[in-house]
Amino acid sequence: MPMATAAGHRCYELWDPMPDEVREGARRFAAVQALNELVGVLQYVEWLDRAPSHTRRQMLMAKIQDEVGHGHVVARVAEDLGMPREQILLDYLEGRTRIHNIFHYSFATWEEVGPGLLLTNSAAITQFQSLAKGVYLPYARALRKVEREESFHYQHALDLTHEILTHGDAEQRRRVQEGFELWLPRILAYLGPPDTDTLHTNRMWQVGLKPDGNDEVRQAWLNKIIPVVRKLGLHVDPALVRQAPSGEWEFEMPDWAQVKKVIANGGPSSQRRLDWVRNALDRNAPYRRALQGVA
Amino acid sequence: MPHIPTDSDVYEVFAQSGHGTALSHVGSIVSPRPDAAWHLAKETYGRRDDLVKLWVVRRTDMIVSSAGDRDLLAAKTRMPYRQPGFPTARRRDRSAAPPAVAAPPERRDSGLTERRDDAREPRLTDLWLALADDLFVLGNRLGERIVDYIDLEEALAVGSIGQEALAHAGTILVLCGFDQPAVDARFFDRAQAQWQVSRVVERLTDWPSLVAGGLVIAAAVAVLAERTAEAEPGAEWLSAISAIRDEQLVHLDHWRRWARALAAWPETRTEFARAYAEVTECAGDMFGARPQSQGQGVPAAAPPAGPALAVTLHERLAVLVGDNGGPGSRLPDGPRTRTWGVGGSALADSLSRGRAIRDHYAPGVFS
Repeated sequence: MPMATAAGHRCYELWDPMPDEVREGARRFAAVQALNELVGVLQYVEWLDRAPSHTRRQMLMAKIQDEVGHGHVVARVAEDLGMPREQILLDYLEGRTRIHNIFHYSFATWEEVGPGLLLTNSAAITQFQSLAKGVYLPYARALRKVEREESFHYQHALDLTHEILTHGDAEQRRRVQEGFELWLPRILAYLGPPDTDTLHTNRMWQVGLKPDGNDEVRQAWLNKIIPVVRKLGLHVDPALVRQAPSGEWEFEMPDWAQVKKVIANGGPSSQRRLDWVRNALDRNAPYRRALQGVA
Repeated sequence: MPHIPTDSDVYEVFAQSGHGTALSHVGSIVSPRPDAAWHLAKETYGRRDDLVKLWVVRRTDMIVSSAGDRDLLAAKTRMPYRQPGFPTARRRDRSAAPPAVAAPPERRDSGLTERRDDAREPRLTDLWLALADDLFVLGNRLGERIVDYIDLEEALAVGSIGQEALAHAGTILVLCGFDQPAVDARFFDRAQAQWQVSRVVERLTDWPSLVAGGLVIAAAVAVLAERTAEAEPGAEWLSAISAIRDEQLVHLDHWRRWARALAAWPETRTEFARAYAEVTECAGDMFGARPQSQGQGVPAAAPPAGPALAVTLHERLAVLVGDNGGPGSRLPDGPRTRTWGVGGSALADSLSRGRAIRDHYAPGVFS
C-alpha cells in the first residue's frame, strides 16, 4: 500500500498521529496559500468590470471565483488543523503574515494582464505540482483540485495574450511585450531564493512537506513556459533569461533585499490590498454575524 | 430539489482503499443500532482490501441530490466557458480566420422575436430584453462581491449566481436573435440613454439592497420564463428558457434565505427592512419595458405598458416577492413603466468602465 511518498516519507491523513512539525508545517503551508489566494485574486478583480467583452467577463469572473475557491479549499485544510479561517485574514491585517511579492503589484494596463496571468498561473501550477507530492494527504488532494482549475486559468491567459498579439496594433503589442518583461523577474523572485546548497537543512524538506527546492521548481517552470512564450511571438531577451548549453536556465538574480522589502508591505499596491481586506471585513461584519447567528 | 431521505436505519458506507485516493461510496447497510453500524459495514465492505478509512453515515443525516437536480449539477454543460478547452478553441479558431474587418453586429428574427401587430404594445421580447439588461448589471455587481468575504462559501455562491446572471443575459439576447458581436455591442457600446433598466438597478450598492435586488430580479425572471413557456409550449428555445427559470428559482431561494437571516438578526433588521422596502418599491417596473422599436425619449406618461400581460406578470411577481418570510414588501399594486436612461451613477460608472479598454481598440478585436 502506498503509505509513503516517492522520497520515502510516511504520509498522513487528518486524524493520523503525526509529528508536530508535520501538523504545524501543513497548517502553515495551507494557511499561507489560502491567504495568497484570497488576497492575490484582488489584482484580477480590479479588471473585472473593464473586461472588454461578454465572454471575457464570464471567463474572468470564473477565474476570480476559482481563486477564491482555492482559498476556500486550502483554508478548510488549515481549519481542520486548528487554524480558524477568520485568523488567516486577521493575521495578515495585523502584520503576522505576508503575501507573496507578486501580489504587492497591480496591472497598469490591460495588455499587461495577459502575460502577467500567464507567468503567474504557470509558475503556480509548477509549484502546486511539486507541493502535491508532500506527505500531508488532505493538502495534496486540495492541490490536485486546484491544479485542474489552474489549467483553465492558464489557457485563459494564453487566449487573452494571444488576442492582443494577433489583433491589437503595434503599440498594444509592444505593451504585451513590456508586460512580459516586467513580470518575468517578479515571478523568478516569487519562486524563492536559491536553496540548492541549503535544501537538505530545511526542516520542511526533511519532513517531506516541501518535496523540491526553489531552484528545481524555477528550472522546471522556465523549461515549460519559455517555449510557450516564444511560440506566442514574444521576444525573450537573453539579458533576462537564457539557456546554457547544459540545458540549465540562467537569469539575472533578483535583488533579494528589494524583494524582501516588497513582501514586508513595501510594494506599490501593498497598502491598497490591506485597505481592501480591512474594509471588506469591517463593512460586512454584521452580515457575517447575521448569517452565522440565525443559520 | 435536494431532499432528506427517510429510512433511518440505513447507513451509507464510504471507504478509502489507498493513500492519496479519494474516499468512495461503496454501498449501504441496515443497522437497527447506530453503534453497530461501523462494525457491520466493516464486515460487509472491508473483507478484502486493506482499507485506509471506513466511514458510515446515517442516510437520514445526508442531504442528497434528486434526479431533477441533474441539470443544476451539469456544470460542464452550463458553463462551457470555464473549461480549459474553451479558451484553447477560441484561440485556435481566431488564428485560423483573423477578421480583417469586423463583421457588423447582427440581429436576426429568431427564437423569442415576435411579429408585433401594434408597435406601441410591449411584447414578451421587450420584457426579456429589459430583464437581460438588469441581469447583466446584477451579474457584474455580484462579481465584485466574490471578494467581499462575508463568508467563503457565500463568496463562491455569489460567484455562481453572478455568472449565471451574466450567462442568462447573454442567452436571452441570443434567443432574441443577437449574434455575439451584437451581444457585446448591446452591453458595452450603448449609451446609458438607450438602456431601459429597472429602477432597482441603481440601488444595487450595499449588501442588504443587493439581497433584495437579487430576490426581485430572480423572481421576475422566473415569472417571465414561466409565462413565456406557457405562451408557446413546444418551442425549440423552451429548454433554454426552462434552464434559466430553474437556475433563477435556485437564486431566489438563496436570496430568500439571506432575507430571512438579515430580517431576523437584531443588528441588521432595521437596515434590511429599509433596503427591502426601497427595492421592492422600485420593482414595480420589472415588466414595464416599452417597445424597443419606439426608440428613446418617449415621455414617461406615454403609451401604457401592455396592461393585460404586465398585470398578470406583476401579480405573479407579487406572490413570489411577498412569500419570503422577511419584512413587508412595498411592491406597488400594479405594474409601473420603465423609462430610458435611468440607472443613475451605478449604471454610468459600470458602462464607462466597460468601455475603458474597448475604446482603445479597433472594432472586432475583442470577442
